[in-house]
Amino acid sequence: MHILFTHFRCFRSGFIQVCFCLGVLMLGGCDMIEYHPYDLDIDGETDVNRRNIERIETATYGKEEIRFAVISDTQRWYDETEDAVEALNRRDDLDFVLHTGDISDFGLKLEFEKQRDILSGLRVPFVCLLGNHDCLATGLDVFRKIFGTEDFAFTAGNVRFLCLNTNALEFDYSSAVPNIQFIRDEGDHVPEGVEKTVVAMHSGPFSEQFNNNIAEYFHYYLKEMPDLQFCVYGHGHNVSVDEFFDDGIKYYECTCAKKRSYLFFTLNSNGYTYEVVNF
Amino acid sequence: MKWSIFKLLLAGGMAGMTLLPLCAQNDSIAPAVKERRWDKREHLRYERWERLKPTHLKWQYAGGMGVSSIGVGWDYGRRCQWETDIQLGYLPRRYAEKFRLTFTVKQNYIPWSICFKEHWMADPFYCGLYITTIAGDEFWKKEPGRYPNKYYNFSTKMRPYIFVGQRFGFSPRHDLVRHVSLFYELSTCELYLISKVTNKSLSMRDILRLSFGVKVQLFRDE
Repeated sequence: MHILFTHFRCFRSGFIQVCFCLGVLMLGGCDMIEYHPYDLDIDGETDVNRRNIERIETATYGKEEIRFAVISDTQRWYDETEDAVEALNRRDDLDFVLHTGDISDFGLKLEFEKQRDILSGLRVPFVCLLGNHDCLATGLDVFRKIFGTEDFAFTAGNVRFLCLNTNALEFDYSSAVPNIQFIRDEGDHVPEGVEKTVVAMHSGPFSEQFNNNIAEYFHYYLKEMPDLQFCVYGHGHNVSVDEFFDDGIKYYECTCAKKRSYLFFTLNSNGYTYEVVNF
Repeated sequence: MKWSIFKLLLAGGMAGMTLLPLCAQNDSIAPAVKERRWDKREHLRYERWERLKPTHLKWQYAGGMGVSSIGVGWDYGRRCQWETDIQLGYLPRRYAEKFRLTFTVKQNYIPWSICFKEHWMADPFYCGLYITTIAGDEFWKKEPGRYPNKYYNFSTKMRPYIFVGQRFGFSPRHDLVRHVSLFYELSTCELYLISKVTNKSLSMRDILRLSFGVKVQLFRDE
């Protein structure tokens, strides 16, 4: 009995010490607990696009001139993304920033959270589109939680911005990607005051990700939108300007963060201007 | 180093480590181990087919192998400095779209153990690696055929980790339970390491993961 009691005392004091040590470690390391790199246990802000769209629509309401920057493919280039945020924050003529997808490289939850945190350092609101890398494993679910739906639209001043998922290969061509019905609905229900349209996507027409069988139809329905100005996309890690359908509508490609440049557009009553800015 | 070579080396290392118990347990005529004053670990050998009997049970919380995982393991080496575990874990629906099972093979190396106050022991440092895999259609070992060759060139299903940890144990001198120990580990997977290497803006806190658990060392039944 005595031995048992000694054991118990010994066990109790040691146990308390160990628990204390573990407790301190856990309190300090709560955010270091992870069940799986692809789980959906999201830390920090969610529904980012909806909140930022509200900010964009309020701030640009009634404006004649809209100025926005495009960044793309920031996956696993956190240092360069921080530099991009710094460069964009130095401007005082920006209304918002469009990220045309590939926030993550491996579809890991950590990548989405980290990129969101870096981009949240922007002084102006930003919206993120879905890239093909963002669809890997549970990436699409994480994207939906953190940023929102993969097809969305918003109005800045008198311009309607359509942001579309064009990564058909990731959906094995079995889902409506790009979602023509979404584009048609947008065309049928144009909000009041909208005079022009800009379209953003991740994979441009005729890339290996795009559903090229319907590229012509896709473009046809985009042109059904009020006064389509131009389209922007990423994916190719290059800067390029193409007129894919020979009808005067230009497709501007934005390069990746590693190549340290962003696109800057100004839309006003005279049309639009386009600029490539290195940082 | 090319990514494919790195993966090959890693897989080779894991396979080698996993096969070690079979060789190690045959060393009954190996030279006597130098006496260590503090290290009272002693390998209670099973013979023949009984070697298949697990020497310990483990439960682990977090660490990339699900919310919680349980498993069995085998220790070997003169001072039980090697341990190989197989663990089955799960992710509940709350943290995934569907209930998910994970399966992990874990290799531990425990170089030192300190015994004090008769019933207490501590492993001040141990390390190792594990590979964890998760069930589910959206995870693939090899890219599905729809992609051009080597389009992504990594696996979303298999995740290798490296870890370091500490353990504190108590021996109740029970017939079945040799000792019970609590452990914690700091781990990281290969994709986090690759991300960290090229980005100074990622901190160690961003890529290190904390997990903890319990190990129950079983007595050899006579």
